[in-house]
Amino acid sequence: MTISNEHIGVFICHCGGNISDAIDIPSVKQEIGTSDIPVFDCEYLCSNIGQDLIKTIIDKHSLDKVVIGACTPAKHEKLFKKCIGDAGLNTSMLEIANLREQCSWVHTGNPAATKKSISLLNGKIKRIQTAHPLTPVQVTINPNAMVIGGGIAGINTALNLANNDIHTYLIEQDVTIGGNTAKIGKIFSPEKLAEECAMCSLSPLMNEVGSHPNITLLTYTEVESASGNVGDFKVTMRKKARYVKDNCMACGRCSEVCPVYAENDFNCGVKDKKAISMRFAQSVPQVYSIDPDHCIELAGTDCGKCLDVCKVDAIDFGQKDEFIDINVGAIVVATGFDEYDASLKPQYGYGIFKNVITQMELARILGVNGPTLGKLARPSDNSTPKNIVMIQCVGSRDEHAGGNKYCSRYCCMAALKHASLISKKYPDANVTICYIDIRAFGLYENYYRAVQDMGISFVRGRPAEVVERSNNNLIVKIEDTLTQELKEIPADMVVLSSAMEASSGTKQIARILDVTLSEDGFIKEKHSKLRPVDTSRDGIFVCGTAQSPKDVTDTIAQSGLAAARASAFISNKVISFNPHIAHMDHSLCNSCGECLKCPFDAISKNGSGNISINPLVCNGCGYCTKLCSKNAISIDGYKEEQIMAEIDGILEKGDVLVFLSREIPYATADNIGNSVARYPANVKIIKVPTTTIVARSTIEHAFECGSRAVLMVEEPTDNTIGEFIYPLALENFERIKAELGDKSARLHFKKAYIPNYRGLADTFTSLTEMEDGE
Amino acid sequence: MKQIENIPDQGILLFKSCMVSVEYPGIESSTTYAFSKLGIDYLVSDEQSCCTGLGYYFDLFDQMSTTAIAARNFAVARKNGYTNITTLCSTCYAINKKACALLNSNDEVRLNVNSVFKEAGLDDLVYEQNSLDDVDNFYHVVEILLSKAKEIGRLNAIDFSGVRVAAHHACHYYKIQSDDMMGNPNHPLLIDTIAKSCGADVVEWYEDKTLTCGAGFSQIHVNRDLSLKVTRVKLESLKNAGVDLVLHMCPNCQIQYDRYQPVIEKEYGTKYNIVHMNIAQFVALALGADPKKVCGFKTHSVPLDDFLSRIGVSV
Repeated sequence: MTISNEHIGVFICHCGGNISDAIDIPSVKQEIGTSDIPVFDCEYLCSNIGQDLIKTIIDKHSLDKVVIGACTPAKHEKLFKKCIGDAGLNTSMLEIANLREQCSWVHTGNPAATKKSISLLNGKIKRIQTAHPLTPVQVTINPNAMVIGGGIAGINTALNLANNDIHTYLIEQDVTIGGNTAKIGKIFSPEKLAEECAMCSLSPLMNEVGSHPNITLLTYTEVESASGNVGDFKVTMRKKARYVKDNCMACGRCSEVCPVYAENDFNCGVKDKKAISMRFAQSVPQVYSIDPDHCIELAGTDCGKCLDVCKVDAIDFGQKDEFIDINVGAIVVATGFDEYDASLKPQYGYGIFKNVITQMELARILGVNGPTLGKLARPSDNSTPKNIVMIQCVGSRDEHAGGNKYCSRYCCMAALKHASLISKKYPDANVTICYIDIRAFGLYENYYRAVQDMGISFVRGRPAEVVERSNNNLIVKIEDTLTQELKEIPADMVVLSSAMEASSGTKQIARILDVTLSEDGFIKEKHSKLRPVDTSRDGIFVCGTAQSPKDVTDTIAQSGLAAARASAFISNKVISFNPHIAHMDHSLCNSCGECLKCPFDAISKNGSGNISINPLVCNGCGYCTKLCSKNAISIDGYKEEQIMAEIDGILEKGDVLVFLSREIPYATADNIGNSVARYPANVKIIKVPTTTIVARSTIEHAFECGSRAVLMVEEPTDNTIGEFIYPLALENFERIKAELGDKSARLHFKKAYIPNYRGLADTFTSLTEMEDGE
Repeated sequence: MKQIENIPDQGILLFKSCMVSVEYPGIESSTTYAFSKLGIDYLVSDEQSCCTGLGYYFDLFDQMSTTAIAARNFAVARKNGYTNITTLCSTCYAINKKACALLNSNDEVRLNVNSVFKEAGLDDLVYEQNSLDDVDNFYHVVEILLSKAKEIGRLNAIDFSGVRVAAHHACHYYKIQSDDMMGNPNHPLLIDTIAKSCGADVVEWYEDKTLTCGAGFSQIHVNRDLSLKVTRVKLESLKNAGVDLVLHMCPNCQIQYDRYQPVIEKEYGTKYNIVHMNIAQFVALALGADPKKVCGFKTHSVPLDDFLSRIGVSV
């Protein structure tokens, strides 16, 4: 449909010769310029001079719509949109013909380049005649952020956000922040051979969180549910009753008089905690809490001793769980790891023999605030073990059911650190590390070498079994794979380097927030190179061991990135969505529900049976347009009449028409130009959101317009859209091909990879050479 | 990993084992006794042949002949409509599963096997790709019994309390096919769970629990000393754990323990107060089977008379 009385202007860029050397611009101007459609050219349209020219001419000629012939839209589309927007036009009133990457650079020296550029511009002119103004959906981003998980990752993220002047809610399920790092006595660092006190690094950060004016700390609080959309999430939380009010002075009198001792999870389950207690001395907040599983008053017995001694009246047995709703613009998930349950490997005796412990438990035992106050003691009799054997990769690098295939990344260094600590404090102790490979990556190699020099023994092999002999002493049975000898290593204590697994909290939060997990159970990044720490949902980020196994150093680095990404997201203040998304004509819709097959869950049916499309979720792939038998859905900017109009403009008899999906395939075609490769000038390209939008009628129209062959090129399956769309696109292609009858051999399909631009160029060339496109 | 709720109790082809038939026929009669008591729909077919397992592991049969014979046995299952092939022996289990996987995934193997059938005019034996699934159509008797453990416990008529029971799970069940076993391959507990449901005092973990029985097919014959050394290691561990009864799920392991325990006792000048039986014999006994006529304990080399009278079963 052409809106009459509208004014279209065409601008052609010389690109300093990049375009004008191959294309005869004066003859292009002469060919397409009419009294209705003025054509202008400029040395560099992207320069300030070029931008001013466009703005001036829009004003002078009262232009409504603009066609630009320049480099690929991937390069300057945003700039030109802003330019016409500044001149008062709707930003959808712009079409860009790709005269550089897909014309002058691939047809250098070919006189047909000029002819092709005329057809490309004609296609865009015809197409823009059918265009209507579009208004992108905009959402105001809530200026607050939330960090879920108060371990070292969450603490560091929250501090970085807060220091960037973003009000941040830090949510922690335990009664204090600190996480697993608080349990570790000493930590290793890549740049030094010495071990540092973990709490000395952690405690000041915890205190800073507790007193930061931009941080609202919610401990003993769990996320129950989440709703809302990108830019404004509503999170519902349960703040559990701790039966102690916030005015607690942490004097400790209550704990002194409490008659109930309870198992202390923080200290390897040793019964050294009272029913009213603080997790550890440096806890933040400094508020005691009552464990309802152990308090006898809460169980109905008349005790109340803590109530009697509290001088500030902080004890409140009537406290109830509270539900809190908070709206935030960005969420960072930092819900950490769980240690692999080593009892799943009964051959190593964990949970069967007292003197088999895990590396995390050893870390606690070696901590000066640990169950033995830092003294190395074995659980069975508290004696100092002389022979200590460590077993690596327990539940890691294990392809058996019940294990994890991945490397847990921290355990080699943790074992080396503990071997070093023991060796320094107990020079008579013999430490043996049974390993598959020692992975002391990067600068850690120096530390590994230093530990080797201390006389620690290394045996390469995965032990078969740990068995107990008299006096709770152990034997580790192993094949030393370097000497191929079976060995039985005596041990007073065995330490298992248990794998790091995604915590149950991580899996739960992924379910609540609807973010994708990797097959190993960790929260998946959108792209490990280009979009690290971004999750599958915009505005939700991940860091630390919730994302993958890692040590403290890597966790801190990654949490800084997560804070930077969340902060950048919030600073945008407004999020503008792609206006080229699915549009429903409700007068045609019969509510059949076929479109609910949307692979991105953007389409839903409400209670009264009406279909609605969520503009915040729809990415405009176009798949739904094919599902609708009533043709009620179209993609704004890619309606069939618009594509048909472009076909009318560009095609000449014998041309090969190529539909390229908008991301990888289009970039691959541009890459042919960047790489100065060649293909014949009768290959004409039309960009589509994905090839699922291409209909049989469109293809038949192309054949009628003289096209010898049609090629559809789709996103590869390792791209976030292709992962879902590729199989659907292939299905669409196969269906159309089957319906085309005797013309079916002229329709082709392939997927593209940016580095394999030559493959795509060769396909283009071969299609032009085929007899009748077959 | 198989899930207990998916274990079938219908359409079961009870796959006969040559080692069971020759050495301990009581295992098969105990299984049919228990299956009937538990209302399991099963079939024993005389048309079925040996799986070749023994010959295969002695390097007498190659994989192609083994696969062709398996395809023939699958046709027996298909023809009778009993397609849940359930083995008494762990080697039959592993051999059949592997053959099925090969027939489904390797076109060359399938075409080759089928062309042999066609040339011989045995078109009814032709194997159609994916007509059986290498996971969903293959079971070991112990899995079927485990799926009925609660019922077995309810019907149990014998007081096993105080009887120290340990399990020897079969390598060809949980090591060769570790991805498909029921439970944790590091800690197989199928037999233990059934024995527990009957009230036995089960030793779930003992030293060398996952060590082989030592038989190693040809090893007992060509490397006899090494083979018996391994068996002795296991018997010593069981003795140290105070075990009275070892339960098996593979006739080959049972031969190695039961037939060779007296040999080891003699050669090493030691004595083990340990008896052996198959889990099916144990379940049949618990469900009231005759120890001689059904369980066939008289075919054992380590006499069970004292053990049986201890648990109040008259011989």
